Amino acid sequence: MDIRFEQAEARFEGRTVLHPLTLSLCERRIGVIGLNGSGKTTFARMINGLVLPAAGRVTVNGFETSKDGDQVRALAGFIFQNPQNQIVLPILKEDIALGLSTRNLPKAEKEAAVSGILARFGIGHLTDRRVHELSGGELQLAALASVLVTKPDILIMDEPTNQLDLRNRALVERTIHNLDENIIVISHDLDLIAGFDRVLLFHEGRLAADGLPAETMTRYREIAA
Amino acid sequence: MKSLHVEGDTFLHRLPPGVKLAALAAVSLLLFLLHSPLLLAVAAITALVFYAMLRLGWHNSWQRMRMILLTIILICAFTLVINSPMDAAAVFFRLVALTLFAATITATTSTGDFIEIVTKAARPLEKTGLVRASDIGLAIGLVIRFVPEVLGRYQAIRDAHHARGLKPKALTLAVPLIILTLRNADEIAAAIDARGIRGQK
Repeated sequence: MDIRFEQAEARFEGRTVLHPLTLSLCERRIGVIGLNGSGKTTFARMINGLVLPAAGRVTVNGFETSKDGDQVRALAGFIFQNPQNQIVLPILKEDIALGLSTRNLPKAEKEAAVSGILARFGIGHLTDRRVHELSGGELQLAALASVLVTKPDILIMDEPTNQLDLRNRALVERTIHNLDENIIVISHDLDLIAGFDRVLLFHEGRLAADGLPAETMTRYREIAA
Repeated sequence: MKSLHVEGDTFLHRLPPGVKLAALAAVSLLLFLLHSPLLLAVAAITALVFYAMLRLGWHNSWQRMRMILLTIILICAFTLVINSPMDAAAVFFRLVALTLFAATITATTSTGDFIEIVTKAARPLEKTGLVRASDIGLAIGLVIRFVPEVLGRYQAIRDAHHARGLKPKALTLAVPLIILTLRNADEIAAAIDARGIRGQK
């Protein structure tokens, strides 16, 4: 994984939501923390190209988000805060297959990929289920499957345990810890990212701390106090 | 999140989606060529028999069809005022038949199959250079997927009115419904982009 921000800045309606930022990310597990409205979601969306820099540039494995959007999105999968919005079709297997629709795979290969990814997350028995029938934890796992079926190099998750009860939270946390992919997780759940390689702290649209989890979280607690 | 598709293993479920859509198009044309209320009534009864094969039950069927039936009744009432009773009867049976045939096809065809067949059918339009067939297929699939979602949101807003002791009015229902639907559309569009479903631009 090689993500670079070079004086990258984000603005919405004339307001700067992320001040010029220069940094590179190569660690396998990166956490992103900060108060509400601190700019962390904008930062994550800039990696995937959902938000393009108003100035500067962002590159993912050498591809620039503002020029090579499709390549960047193939490299960096994104899990939204609300998994309901991630799922576009009503039947689980159809939705997972939709992610492969642009790859012109033979039908059998596509079906094998869908059943393989559902089995990987232990939700193979839900393949024909309607999405509205899934529990919060199952829905989050389905969202993970819908993105990982395309085999991205990097997975970005925006508050993946936010709306879950204790049991589903534990289920999703276990799944995240067992992922082989490079992951970037935005979270208010500090336990989730405590064992990560690096944690970034955003505050008022700026990078306020960057380092090992313990020291960044200490700074976060100071800001939040 | 509900679906208009109904799981089942009837012969209608097993028919290829292309055949079903072509048949629906042909039947629709035929219904507009017919003007005899008697023949149109036969068509409506036939459509009712097909719809009954879905075994949805009265309550579920009523929930699905009540809005469109109300619209049909309004159109018929209007026709009755400006034309003859025979014309109103013809309009009623024609629209009921059309609605029931279309509802049957929708209920027996998965959204994925709809997207696939519409994409294939729209492929020749790509030669104009103006559209992408996969976009048309996806758009139609999304409409099918989100119609029940919008209805569910309408009910939630109405319930919120009742919970607060407010009488639902057209304006106070429509404004939040439109805003919520547009906001949701933005999020769905972002998810489609993030998942790269639309592919190369």
